[in-house]
Order: sequence, then structure tokens, then C-alpha cells
Amino acid sequence: MSITLPSGLSPDAPVIAPHVTLTSVSEEVSSRVLIDRAPLWWWVGFGISFALLIVLVVQMAWLFINGIGVWGVDIPVAWGFAIAEYVWWIALASGGTIVSALFFLTRSPWRSATNRIAESMLLSAAPCAGLMPIMHLGRPGLFYWLFPYSNVMGVWPQPRSPLWWDFICLICYIIMSVFYYYTGILPDLATVRDLAQTKRKRILYGILALGWRGSAAEWQNQRVVYAIMSAIMAPMVVSVHSVVGLDFAAGLTPGWHDTQFSPYFYFGAIVSGTAVIVMLTILVRWGYNLQDVLTEYHFNAMAKLILVGSLMLMYAYVWESFGPMYGSGVAEKTEYYQRIFGFTSPAFWAEKVLTVVIPQLLWFPFVRRNQLLLLLICSGIIVGMWQERYVFVISSLAHNYMPSSWGVFYPTFWDWAALAGTIGLFLTLFFLFLRFAPIVSIAEVREIIEQEKSK
Amino acid sequence: MKSLFGIIATFDTPDAVRDAARQLRQSGFRAFEAYTPYPVEGLAEIIHPGPKRFLPLLMFGAAIVGAAWGYWIQYWGEAFNYPLNVGGRPFNSWPAFVVGTFEFMLLVAVAAGFVGMLAASRLPKLYHPIFEADAFERASRDRFVICVESTDPRFDADLIRREFALLGAERIEEVRA
Repeated sequence: MSITLPSGLSPDAPVIAPHVTLTSVSEEVSSRVLIDRAPLWWWVGFGISFALLIVLVVQMAWLFINGIGVWGVDIPVAWGFAIAEYVWWIALASGGTIVSALFFLTRSPWRSATNRIAESMLLSAAPCAGLMPIMHLGRPGLFYWLFPYSNVMGVWPQPRSPLWWDFICLICYIIMSVFYYYTGILPDLATVRDLAQTKRKRILYGILALGWRGSAAEWQNQRVVYAIMSAIMAPMVVSVHSVVGLDFAAGLTPGWHDTQFSPYFYFGAIVSGTAVIVMLTILVRWGYNLQDVLTEYHFNAMAKLILVGSLMLMYAYVWESFGPMYGSGVAEKTEYYQRIFGFTSPAFWAEKVLTVVIPQLLWFPFVRRNQLLLLLICSGIIVGMWQERYVFVISSLAHNYMPSSWGVFYPTFWDWAALAGTIGLFLTLFFLFLRFAPIVSIAEVREIIEQEKSK
Repeated sequence: MKSLFGIIATFDTPDAVRDAARQLRQSGFRAFEAYTPYPVEGLAEIIHPGPKRFLPLLMFGAAIVGAAWGYWIQYWGEAFNYPLNVGGRPFNSWPAFVVGTFEFMLLVAVAAGFVGMLAASRLPKLYHPIFEADAFERASRDRFVICVESTDPRFDADLIRREFALLGAERIEEVRA
């Protein structure tokens, strides 16, 4: 059975506004990078982000001096915000790869103008994810012991542990994402190099472009490698987020010990990752005046993706309640009861409303094309997703097998500072990408322009 | 006087550049290259015919090497160099090693693809004689450029100029480097 959503756009609606030409897209997008003074909104955004980044630095200093006791983590809730936010950040990053790699393989036209935003987002979010577990270590300075490097101690990391799998997945994911990003951006850097007016910029972008000439041979090599990389990145990101799920599924804690965790996490990644991409696309479109390149077509397509993701997430939520009810474990049932009626209940119900109920508005075409509504729905999804991660991490630990050792979690000021600080790190990195790298894949948009012409 | 690198012509549509490349090939030229703002379909097959299996095979080979490396690291540490009895589980607990093996496999494949792509395209190479041509600059924006290089045995500047003019080139010039 197939359902076709009425889009409200005519079937041959332009992906890119018809008056955009090869010349104009190249010059417009490059000029945002080559401009001498960044616009005021950029400085305001960057300033706020940088202030939040300083919060992170102060938070980390305080944390490293005093130990993780400054957070609200304790026994029984030994995993607090840091782990919940680790999952949250890596989900946002994974969403970027899904949009970029999966929809390259399907040759979706809307991916061409948004993939760079998605990749810049993922490269900004992945370090935030990586920082969280490191901050959560008792001795963060020794995190490199997780690398399987040859050492004189004769001690190796323990590859039977999902926590090590997690580390390997994350580190491989970040390195591979950099390769993937760079392979895609190389032709655009050459465009910027050829348009640069000052000598410093010519040298900078000349070096970054590695001497790319756009010859037929280069394009052929680039496209072959890029296609194979996409085919690798798409399953790779499933594995990354599934392994994050295995961290929990392999624990014996009630509420975690469940085979559904991998797909459950992955569905969440699709929804929250696409939601943050939509928000950033609205920012880029408005800030950089790229209304002709980032059109309603893109919002319509991404909103549909969010809708599909939220339906899949709904399925996972149904299973989340069906599992404990159907199984015979008393602890599982009790934990679930506490999760929905205990101290986590406000976050639990809010999360369901924000991530699967409100996004149902996206069935209506006018909502999918209204940027204000999209902005509200997407921020709701991102907040809801954070609450979801928070609820299952905290509630399960707080309601373990022994009722006598149940507990409650109270976040401290430094917990919130870590959240605000990583948001600062994310936004700082994203604003730097906005300033110094073409934020729309110029080469791929050129292809779309030619396709539109021949339509 | 700088030596002649080749004759360059710009075209304003992808179809024109494809026709030009086909025509040059039929006239017997071999040392020519097209520079385009995006990959023009069919162009690479005209200029560089023949199967292109190097990069896919390289990435496949790298994937095998990466998988072997990933498994070996875990096997070496857990079963060989420092065997640790964890609840009586076998030292070589291969199901637990699958994740690490998988990730290393993909990492090495992607890294090899990136390095292979650069090597196959002779990059990084910050200077190339084609950069001397004024007309070349727009190849990274909105023009489709073909350059017949002087190393071609059939190279004849006047003949090539005439041929380009017949093909409807927008602009024809010499590249000296």
C-alpha cells in the first residue's frame, strides 16, 4: 500500500527558483564566504554562541577540579544529563548523515541544497556528543586509554564491552564524516578560490581546494568515491546509533534491557536530526538571503521526512509500553509505571506530545510550507527528544530491582551549564562553518539547475 | 616567451562541450581535457574511455584490510597479548569483536577512497598550467572548457582553432605556461 501526501505544490514545482543560473548560484553562495565583514546577525549569533562556549569551559574547569560530584549524579542514578545528552547529540548528528548520505543514494533533488547544512550540523554536533562521556569519566585525562594503541602497560581496552564499541563507533564516525564532508566540498572550495579577490583568501582557499580543476577525470573519480562513501555512511550511521542503543540494551536495568533500543534510537535520530536541519535551513535561508536556492520544495520534503520519522517513533513508543506489559518481569512493569506516573511523568508526557502528537500537523500541506510553524514544531521535537533521552536514562536507574534502593535525580546548576555549554560549542562551530565554508553545495545545485532546464 | 601548453575553448552549454569532445576524439586527438562546473553526463566516458575499476576495487580491498586489522587488534589484545578471563567467556569472543571489526572496515575503506580519489586525480597539486588561462576561471562557475594540450601528436594550433570555431566555441585562446 502506498500513500501519496498531497503536497500543495504542483508536480513539476521547481526545486530551485527558475531565475537562478549557474552564474548567480556560484556568485551568491561564494559571496557569503568571501564577504569582508560578516553581517550583523552573524556577529550577534556568534557572540551568543561564544558566550555559551565560555560557559562550557568554566563548567569543565569546575568539573575537572571537583569531580563529577558537582553534577546531580549519585547512586542509584549514576548516569545523569551527560549520558542522556550524549545520546541526544549523537542522534542530531546521525540525522545529518541520514539526510546527506541516504538521500544521495536515492538521488532526491531536495538533498542537493540542504546536504551541506546537514553535514556542517553533524560535524558541529558530533564533538558535543564526544565530549559528554569524556566529561563523565572519573579521570577524564585518561580517556585515551580507550584507543587500542600499543603501550608499555600491556593493558588493552576491553572490546567485549558495548562502551568500547561506542567509543570506536563515535571516533570512526567523526573521522569518516570529515572525509565525506571534504570530498563533497572540494569543488565548491575551488569555486570560492576562483572568485576570491584578495590575495590572502586566494591562498587560503587555494590550499583548501587542493588544486581542484573540475576536469572530467576529477569529476569521475570524485563521483565514484562519493557514491561509495554515501553507500558506506548510510549503514555506518545506523550502526553508530544502534551501538549507542546497545549500551543500554546490554545493561540489565529494567527499562533498558530491551531489544528494541537500536531501532528506537535510530527513529529518534531521523526525527530530531531532520528537525534541527530544518531549523538551521530556515536560519541560513533568512540570514543569507538564499530564498531562491532553499525553496518551499525543500521544506515540504524535509517536513515529510520528519512526519515519517515521527510515525516510526510512535511505533517505538507503542512498543516501549507493550514490552513491559506483555513480558512477565515485575521490575519492568513497575519501572514503566514509575516512568509514566513517577517523578519523570511531566517530561514523559511532554516528550510524547512534542515528538509524535504535534508533528502530526505536518499532514497538512500549509503547515509543511509555513516556516514559522515548522520552526515551532521542530524546536518542540528537539526539546521533546532531549526529554525522551532524559526520561529513559534517569527513570530506569532510579527504579531498579530493589525498591529499597530507589532514588530521585535532581539536576544541579552545573548539569544545566553542561547542556548550555555544549549548545554553545555546537552553535559556535556551526557559525564558523557558515562564515568560512560554502553552506550550500554549489556544484550539486548547478546540476539541479540543468535538470530543471531540461524538464 | 613561455611555452605553449595548449589551446583552450569555452562553451556555454553542457551539450556543446559534449559534442566538442566527441568531435575532437573522432578527429584523432587524445591529449585533451574538459573542465566543467559540475559532472556533465557522458563527458568522462568520451574523454577517458574504458573501464574505471581502480577506485571501487581500492575501496573494496581497503575494506578487507580494515576488517582484518580491526579483528586482529581485538584478537591480539584479548586472546594473545593479555588474555583476561571475563566470566569464563572464550578469549577469542568473536561475536563481541564484530562491531569493532565493522567500524574499522568502513573507516579504512572511506579513508582509502579519499586518498585514492586524490591520488587518481593527481591532487593535491596547487599549480597547473591551465590556471594561466583567463578563460579557465569560469570553468568553476558557469562555463564548460576544453583544452587540447600541445603534447598531442596531432597538435596543430591553427587546425584546432578552426575546429573549435566550427563547434561554436564562445571564446578561444592559447594557454602559455
